[in-house]
Amino acid sequence: MQTVAASFKDPSGSVFTYENEYYRSINPVYETQYNHLLNSGLYDHLCKRKLFLPFKEYVSPIPAPQVWKTIKPIQLARICYASEWSFDMYKDAARCTLHNCIEALDFGMVLKDANTFNIQFYQGKPILIDSLSFEKYKEGQHWIAYRQFVEHFICPLVLMKYNHLSLQKIAITYPNGVPIDVCKSMLPKRARLNPNVYLHIILAAKKTKSSKKTTQFSQDKLRTLLKGLLNFVEKITLPKEKTIWDDYYAHTILGNGYFDEKASVISKMLDSIEYKSVVDYGANDGAFSKLLAKKNKEVIAADIDYNCINRLYQYIKKEKIKNIHPLVLDLTNPTPSFGWAAQERSSIFPRLQSDVSLCLALVHHLAIQHNIPLPNILNLFHKQSEYLLIEFVEKTDAKVQLLLESREDIFDKYSLNDFRNAFNPLYDLLAEKKLEATDRTLFLLKRKNEMA
Amino acid sequence: MLSLLYIDPGSGSFLVQAIIAAALGGAFIVRGYWNRFKSFFTGKDYSKKKEDTEKENQEEIEY
Repeated sequence: MQTVAASFKDPSGSVFTYENEYYRSINPVYETQYNHLLNSGLYDHLCKRKLFLPFKEYVSPIPAPQVWKTIKPIQLARICYASEWSFDMYKDAARCTLHNCIEALDFGMVLKDANTFNIQFYQGKPILIDSLSFEKYKEGQHWIAYRQFVEHFICPLVLMKYNHLSLQKIAITYPNGVPIDVCKSMLPKRARLNPNVYLHIILAAKKTKSSKKTTQFSQDKLRTLLKGLLNFVEKITLPKEKTIWDDYYAHTILGNGYFDEKASVISKMLDSIEYKSVVDYGANDGAFSKLLAKKNKEVIAADIDYNCINRLYQYIKKEKIKNIHPLVLDLTNPTPSFGWAAQERSSIFPRLQSDVSLCLALVHHLAIQHNIPLPNILNLFHKQSEYLLIEFVEKTDAKVQLLLESREDIFDKYSLNDFRNAFNPLYDLLAEKKLEATDRTLFLLKRKNEMA
Repeated sequence: MLSLLYIDPGSGSFLVQAIIAAALGGAFIVRGYWNRFKSFFTGKDYSKKKEDTEKENQEEIEY
């Protein structure tokens, strides 16, 4: 049994793992709240609405006298953090939080925590995973989690809208929420014209200096505040913009024949092995992730381009695809471990362990754009999965030439032969196929048994 | 500035919440009157029906 590093602050209970499964122990102090959650019907209501991660009561595998009850939630395949969400994922996570709180009020409860870590994406949708987030509503109380909600959700969302879409990354710098005065200092003047921005950020930043506790806050006012926030979140939208990766496969000089051939080779290669999960590194618009999702695999589609990931998220929402998990990932600067003792939140790599790593049209970007030597690239994926399906793009390829146009060619160790030499000590070659009329070759590799 | 470090950051938000709720409450009332005004001239019902809201509340949330 091991307590999860992220779960040590809440006196109501904690999360632990036992034989690779997650459990939550509840302390006696939370007993009345827990009973109200179940007996009031709130739990069933939220589960039916797919707002809250269901759990079952469980006899603890290890006796612990100080623990009142143990529950086992539905096991999530992946944990992701807000800095890895795209804009719309952020927005839907905010909506999920508010819906939970608004609906809890009908059952006499309220959300006492509103941070991004409590929301995870499960089967393509955001869901509240902290089973101990609700407390009984007391007439006249303010929303205790209001400031937390604004700093965790509203501030990053408005910064993404008014400043730059890549600012979802700010969540790493401020894991406890972007302070409103920091947010205010970054927002352009025109943002103040939005009455909601003015109220929740500009005005709030001024009034922080007062700790004066005003008297009663009726339930009607609380509902008005929550619905106002929901309305605000729903209206934070993005102007349409094109990125360099927009319609990569539609406009690529390589054309449709290339795509179809590649898809068929990948499909055949992967059909020859047993696997359940795939991480598609450099997924772009997710064309190959979608292909694998159709084979009923758990697919994580990761890309540095937040626009591509956002579009993929919109797509899986529209098509109700449950087994693709989009996330924003910059391989040259991935999420480190952070928070208390630099361990509270895990780096991205343990969270992305999978059976297969898929690296299509990626190696040349890492090697030539970012100067990462081939052995270093292969070492990284070697730690992530047993199988690696990787595309090597030779120097003669038009896209590599494009990369080399703007810089000196200092890459004398970038050839098909160097690539083979780099993977040979780490992997066994299972299959290899050169794509017709291109300088691109696909390799299916299997990690060498270290004991051998 | 130093004294701020001793104040729980959440507590400063009580006043803000009160101001915001009052401002938004006013806006909702105005919208209600506006819908009634529109209904009077167009004959259409702009307010959300209670049955619809109740039905919506039983289904899975759509984002």
